[in-house]
Amino acid sequence: MTALSTVDRAIQEDIKEFIAREALAVDERRFRDWLDFLAEDITYDVPLRVVREGLAEWELSPTGRIFQDNKQTLEVRVRRLETDFAWAEQPPSRTRHYVTNVLIDDSDKAGEYEVASYCLIYRSRGDSIEPNFVSVFRKDLVRRVGDSYQIARRWAAIDQAIINAHNLSIFI
Amino acid sequence: MTTHLENPNMEARLREIRDGIDQGRFPAYVFNNQEIFDLEQEKLFGQAWTFLAHESEIPKPGDYVTRYIGNNNVIVARDEHGEIHANLNMCRHRGNMMCKSEMGNASHFRCSYHGWVYKNSGELIGVPYLAEGYEGKLKRKDWGLVKSRIDTYEGLVFGTFNEDASSLEDYLGGFQFYLDLYLKQGPNGSEVHGPPDHWITETDWKIAAENFAGDGYHTPVAHQFGFNLGYFPSSGATHSQGWAASIPGKGHGIGLGHTPGFTPFAGFPEELTAEIKKSLSPDQVEVFSSTRTAVGTVFPNLSFLMQPFSLIPGETGVRFVTMRLYHPIGPGKCEMYSWCLVPKDASDEYKAAAYQAYTLTFAQAGTFEQDDLENWARLTRMAKSSAAKGIEFPYLMGMETERDEDFRGPGHVVKPYVNDSNFRNLWGRWADYLLGEV
Repeated sequence: MTALSTVDRAIQEDIKEFIAREALAVDERRFRDWLDFLAEDITYDVPLRVVREGLAEWELSPTGRIFQDNKQTLEVRVRRLETDFAWAEQPPSRTRHYVTNVLIDDSDKAGEYEVASYCLIYRSRGDSIEPNFVSVFRKDLVRRVGDSYQIARRWAAIDQAIINAHNLSIFI
Repeated sequence: MTTHLENPNMEARLREIRDGIDQGRFPAYVFNNQEIFDLEQEKLFGQAWTFLAHESEIPKPGDYVTRYIGNNNVIVARDEHGEIHANLNMCRHRGNMMCKSEMGNASHFRCSYHGWVYKNSGELIGVPYLAEGYEGKLKRKDWGLVKSRIDTYEGLVFGTFNEDASSLEDYLGGFQFYLDLYLKQGPNGSEVHGPPDHWITETDWKIAAENFAGDGYHTPVAHQFGFNLGYFPSSGATHSQGWAASIPGKGHGIGLGHTPGFTPFAGFPEELTAEIKKSLSPDQVEVFSSTRTAVGTVFPNLSFLMQPFSLIPGETGVRFVTMRLYHPIGPGKCEMYSWCLVPKDASDEYKAAAYQAYTLTFAQAGTFEQDDLENWARLTRMAKSSAAKGIEFPYLMGMETERDEDFRGPGHVVKPYVNDSNFRNLWGRWADYLLGEV
């Protein structure tokens, strides 16, 4: 395996721009716009991390999930945020998704790309001076659709086993 | 102004609280207070039965999880004969933590400091330089891990270091009748679907324990979005119907929400409904036939919720069960553990659907969970206000309500579900423990 991706540099640049714009839509709380970044058949999973010995078969639970969503359930979450009664986001969290170390590789299917990235989420709530930091490794599948792209899979593993946020009312 | 905190006489203050509860009053400051926290650690969590694990978390010999009894980290392990043990996770030699992972499989635990080795049952079997160093003065049988008592009910494993505590059966005191709804979901009962979520929240454990002891009052407001989007097939008015049941003197309480016209047992796996009914008594079948939502707390800090949920408003969907533990780690601060329980005999499709309903609603990113924790964290913060030290909250609902004599479940049972009787019972028991009068 070569150290460098075989994916065309121009396509890589486009995909990097695409995921930066996706992050901007979330951070600007344009959740309807954000849904358009997601494919109809998206799987959106955040597995549970368990503190295990180094030789254990897994550290990310095969069955346990923090998020186990699809387009329909993500729409439910967005519709909820559009009501006046989503107390967890009243006043709203201020988030910033810092996406780095983006690596883009071909998948098994033409027009679909494996996109790995690091994402550090900063979240500030109300008048609190203590932000939440959520460090995440993402393995997305990004699909070419017309002139742009859509996310067909988001898989995001949180590095911390016990999360120091009273809830996760944000998107990863 | 004389505040409660300046009062040096803790016992007198507790008696005042105890008397206030019977008159429908409970002080605000106890929901975020160092002295109360310290007292709870000693007098409550050091004395009562504490939930440790569900047996299905450690199904095979050698399986273990690490959990807490009060501030004591314990290893809950199944030994080679299938028997479950709970031992303090601390080497008897110099006190190092033995096991650093939260789950796994091991026949032995070896201390990484001086190498003492214990069986997963807690028995000391290996001491380096035993003959040369200790010259026969150390008997291995005297230096096993510190053992916790354990007792189980329908898969729930509880522990306590209190040798004088009465049996778990006596401790639950009839609340088993209601727990069976969550635990006997078919011939082989219930099992966990994966490990628990756990996260730290600036919420006092007591707020969560009270809410899950049957707070039907908060639902239409705290979870208003659910009604707004049509996820509850009823208005706030009909949602308040049902019963509040509590076991007097034991602290346990449950709210049984009733929605008129709801099909009995709807949302359970269809292929299992007949079996579930067979595993229950006729009285339980009658009570649970009228139950749409059931939310209860085993005193002090273990709770359950069952409710049907569908992504499509108006449809019954699946019943999911969440079990949660509020592990106190400081005044106004707890570690939340949240599991999803599914019927062991259900299809994989049903289990997956129930788990998805759980993650969307009551896991740490769940839409209902989010709102509860937002409210509870703010309540906890306000409870520490200096101006709140002298104030009390009203626990006046249902002071005069008579028991519903037609109801076939045990305990003090009143309707409507919107009622403080469960909470007076809960805090009465809490005060009894803190006073050492149990």
